[in-house]
Amino acid sequence: MSTLPVVDSAPAGRSPWRDARVRFMRHRAAVASVFILALVALACVVGPMLLPNAYDSVDWNLMSAPPTRAGWHLFGTDELGRDLLVRTLIGGRISLAVGVLATLVSVTIGVVWGAVAGFAGGRVDSVMMRIVDMAYAVPYLLIAILVVTVFGRDILLVVAAIAAFSWLDMARVVRGQTLSIKSREFVEAAHAIGVPTWRIIFQHVVPNLMGVVVIYTSIVVPGVILSESVLSFLGLGVQEPMTSWGVLIHDGAAVMGAAPWMILFPAAALSITLYCANFIGDGLRDALDPKDR
Amino acid sequence: MWAYVVRRLLVTLPTVLAVVTLCYVLLHLTPGGPFDAERKVSDAVLANLQAKYHLDLPLWKQYLYYLRDLLHGDLGASFRYADWSVNDLVARALPVSLAIGGTSMAVAAILGVALGITAALRQNSAVDIGVMLVANIGSVLPSFVLGPVLVLVFAILLPLLPSGGWDDFAPRYMVLPIALLTLINVSTIGRIMRGSLIEVLSSNFIRTARAKGLPMRVVVLRHALRPALLPVVSVIGPLAISSITSAIVTESWFSIPGLGKLIVNGASDRDYTLVLGLVVLVTVMAVLLNLLVDLAYAWLDPKIRY
Amino acid sequence: MTTRHKPSLARALATFAAAAAAGAAVHAAVIPPGTVLAARQEMVRNNGAEPESLDPAYIESVPAAEIDRDLFEGLTATDHHSNVVPGVAESWKQVDPTTWVFKLRKNATWSNGTPVTAEDFVYSWRRFLDPKTAAKIATTYAVYLANGMEVVNGKKPVTALGVRAIDAQTLEVRTAGAVPFLPAVVSVAQYGPQPRAVVEKYGKDWTKPGNIVSNGAYVLKDWQVNSKVVIEKNPGYWDAANVQLTRVTYLCVEDGNADLKLYQSGEEDYLYQIPPGAFNALKAQYPKEIHNGPLLGLRFYALNNEDPLLKDVRVRKALSMVIDRNILSEKVTADGQAPLYGLAVKGLAAIQQTRFDWADWPMDKRVAEARKLLAEAGVKPGTKLKFTYNNSDYHKKMAIFAASEWKTKLGLDTEMDSLEFKVLIRKRHDGDFQIARHGWVVTFNDATLFLALLQCGSEVNDQRSCNRKADELIAQGNAATDPAQREALLTQAAKLAMDDYPIIPLLQYSVPRLIKPWVGGYDEANGMDRYRSKDFYILRH
Repeated sequence: MSTLPVVDSAPAGRSPWRDARVRFMRHRAAVASVFILALVALACVVGPMLLPNAYDSVDWNLMSAPPTRAGWHLFGTDELGRDLLVRTLIGGRISLAVGVLATLVSVTIGVVWGAVAGFAGGRVDSVMMRIVDMAYAVPYLLIAILVVTVFGRDILLVVAAIAAFSWLDMARVVRGQTLSIKSREFVEAAHAIGVPTWRIIFQHVVPNLMGVVVIYTSIVVPGVILSESVLSFLGLGVQEPMTSWGVLIHDGAAVMGAAPWMILFPAAALSITLYCANFIGDGLRDALDPKDR
Repeated sequence: MWAYVVRRLLVTLPTVLAVVTLCYVLLHLTPGGPFDAERKVSDAVLANLQAKYHLDLPLWKQYLYYLRDLLHGDLGASFRYADWSVNDLVARALPVSLAIGGTSMAVAAILGVALGITAALRQNSAVDIGVMLVANIGSVLPSFVLGPVLVLVFAILLPLLPSGGWDDFAPRYMVLPIALLTLINVSTIGRIMRGSLIEVLSSNFIRTARAKGLPMRVVVLRHALRPALLPVVSVIGPLAISSITSAIVTESWFSIPGLGKLIVNGASDRDYTLVLGLVVLVTVMAVLLNLLVDLAYAWLDPKIRY
Repeated sequence: MTTRHKPSLARALATFAAAAAAGAAVHAAVIPPGTVLAARQEMVRNNGAEPESLDPAYIESVPAAEIDRDLFEGLTATDHHSNVVPGVAESWKQVDPTTWVFKLRKNATWSNGTPVTAEDFVYSWRRFLDPKTAAKIATTYAVYLANGMEVVNGKKPVTALGVRAIDAQTLEVRTAGAVPFLPAVVSVAQYGPQPRAVVEKYGKDWTKPGNIVSNGAYVLKDWQVNSKVVIEKNPGYWDAANVQLTRVTYLCVEDGNADLKLYQSGEEDYLYQIPPGAFNALKAQYPKEIHNGPLLGLRFYALNNEDPLLKDVRVRKALSMVIDRNILSEKVTADGQAPLYGLAVKGLAAIQQTRFDWADWPMDKRVAEARKLLAEAGVKPGTKLKFTYNNSDYHKKMAIFAASEWKTKLGLDTEMDSLEFKVLIRKRHDGDFQIARHGWVVTFNDATLFLALLQCGSEVNDQRSCNRKADELIAQGNAATDPAQREALLTQAAKLAMDDYPIIPLLQYSVPRLIKPWVGGYDEANGMDRYRSKDFYILRH
């Protein structure tokens, strides 16, 4: 026996975003990840300003020193005597920035390309997907060298070069999902009642894609960050003395046996960030799942 | 359906030609050429080198020569590996890369699907988080970290396997490189499988099946798996291509004579013919693999029709 | 100039005299008495890179030459002490300043049984230098033979080349000007013999296993591109009795860390080069297996002498003075490479090492003097320098060190430009740089190869420096018949040219490597880092 509440105003609506947030909160790892990631980002932005060591000051007397409290060398020093704590944080700025930017660009292009191709079908789909096939075959290294030589070295170029190759997979995945979604009844229904195509794509199909897109985005992120390290190594990305996690890990991998701290800390930072990104991705997927209402 | 397959196969040739042309132009635009060396080459020798490789002709003429040879199946002579033809090099490297990349894809697919299903069925539980933590090792640590760790553990601390090298497909040289590639691929497949299966499990038809009283195992395997596999199959195509053709870190760390090494050396040495030959190969492989993936879509989701 | 194993004209003459007088064959693997050999004489050795070819006319890289010296033996050879020893030629004689006569041994044969004759060398050298063959490195070696440059440049037919077969066992070689070190020149792999019939029959495929025919201590058994090259003992080789190793596998691993892992897991016996930064740790871990001999090579920075900032010699001198080469050697590279304050490296023939007069000053004095020079030249602190290098951890470290020295001591800012190797070479050749990283390692031991770096208009003079007086001295030195006088003149030339500070010499290359204790025959004093497999042997272990 329940007493009906006395209603003298319209009931408060439940917005889908609130629902999404509630569902997200249920994913414990995702929630924890948000906090951890925020902490990491904060440390990278603010840390170097607070720490006494500069990221590019070499100290020939303290080369490859293990972590020590003295002189705030909590992560040790690299083979040129530069403090690794500061370098890891500064490197994080680059890696996070590149990661976010390149991912945004490549996801946007990939989703639009894949959705349009999948939905249009027929000739258009064929041509668009053949272009994707072609782009796969082009050697990535060549393009990167060409871009830098023609346009000069610039961190934005790195972003562009990476994004230019990361959207391909997303496009394929999105197209596959679109093919499946477009043959479902609600799309047929929308079509039948005369909803314009672009509206169907962006208001009906894309939201249903979000699950896979979000997951795949969190797969793109590590790839992007690692691509940046390969490019920097080849002289196409960040230049000395600036650094990034990828560069730090690459340098550290070379001396893993002799100076494990050089790879341990940047690798830990990268792993933590990527694990968090993965869990957040899973959480977002759960949250935005249109069927889980 | 067969008409579709034939149509797709026919498109292969123009696709290959388009890519080759694009790469051809790009290669010639890239600074540095195949004959740049520490010591300058004399003009007479340079003239003869260029004549030998047709490089003294206008670009379009060179291109036509190349196309003519290409249509006869002759990929030309390599600059970097002067005693070998590109056909030879590719024919030797391809089986190696197929063995390593292909096997790792198969293992990663099976493992990834299994892990993804396990995690999806126990969504948000400790099992889910634990399984995903393990599966994701390959995507949060770069291969140039995982590789050395694998070697350290299995070849140096426990001298079970060689730390690298190749001996005519001898299994013991293949284990670690396959393991490395599998670790990397399993994470992508696992996560997509998990996410996709969770989505499918909340659809109406699954609810109906559950309501009918079918055991979970049957529900998953017989009803949910097929549509859930769609995005997984989407990524297997590109993952397979990159495992076979761009496993450069794996190949150089384990000293494996595969395609990745050829591509990178070819690009850095501006070995025009080698790079173009590999581009042709990768394009053909990409087209064929993507065709297989698209056909798989039709099998997995009966509503998809070509 | 008295290191133990330094090849020189005097030594070559002495060897000739001894060999001619005694008529004795020179032994290969000199095994100390009482050494117990292993039953299995096989070796796996990392060669550092996949060879670009095995055809003597086309090889350019050190790894390819290393393999080819096992397959093809030239008139002379270089042994494991980097001495020039008889090869196919059992003796030779310089009959006049520009003519040499080589006497070939009668029992030298190809692996298919046919004898090696003087005609083989005539054919091979003509093929190598023929512009139609289009061998990239032909110019470098053509310069020593009479009409060599004219042939390579297409101005004269190949028949004009200064090589002639007097009879089947006698070869006459005419040089372009006096070349006192000719026996060293003809020991290089590119001057090895090629089997005419085989080359003509198989064309480009003649070097494949099964087709190839060689006259050296080994024949090619198997060649897996990017994997390994396997050679086996040639039973018909004239000195086969002294060849211990029956089978050698050359690996082509480029990555130092991968190489190290193969060594540690027992997959190879001979590490090519210790990865950067690992030397001290490995020295502690493998004290009996580590080796680090000096190489005939120079690490330096090329200064673009035509650059507006660097045109002034005072600026170049200042940049060179403030770099602390001791810290560079002990701490930065930390692998036993010796600091250099001049052009010549230790062990280089026909020249004495020279040092800048400020080399022994305390660093404070050097910095003060350098600052004074910069002020005089009108260069203010805050001026930007541009430094170009190729992406490799090793060079990066050195570059960062130099940049920090210029910054802290002279207040100059350096912009670092890391490029891919091919792009760096292009830029250097084209003069499109201000300061660029450079390295120079020679293929045979004579000072002229180093002096070529500084000669006016020389094709390897990327820094575009020119000191005419020094060039004159070099010419005089090469014309001198007395080795002592030649050495004095070349030394003087080097000092004179280097006082212009055209380049910044930094360190002498060394060869840090690991070799399993059961491999015999290695000599750290071998400044050329050339070994024939016939000089190695395996001890019982």
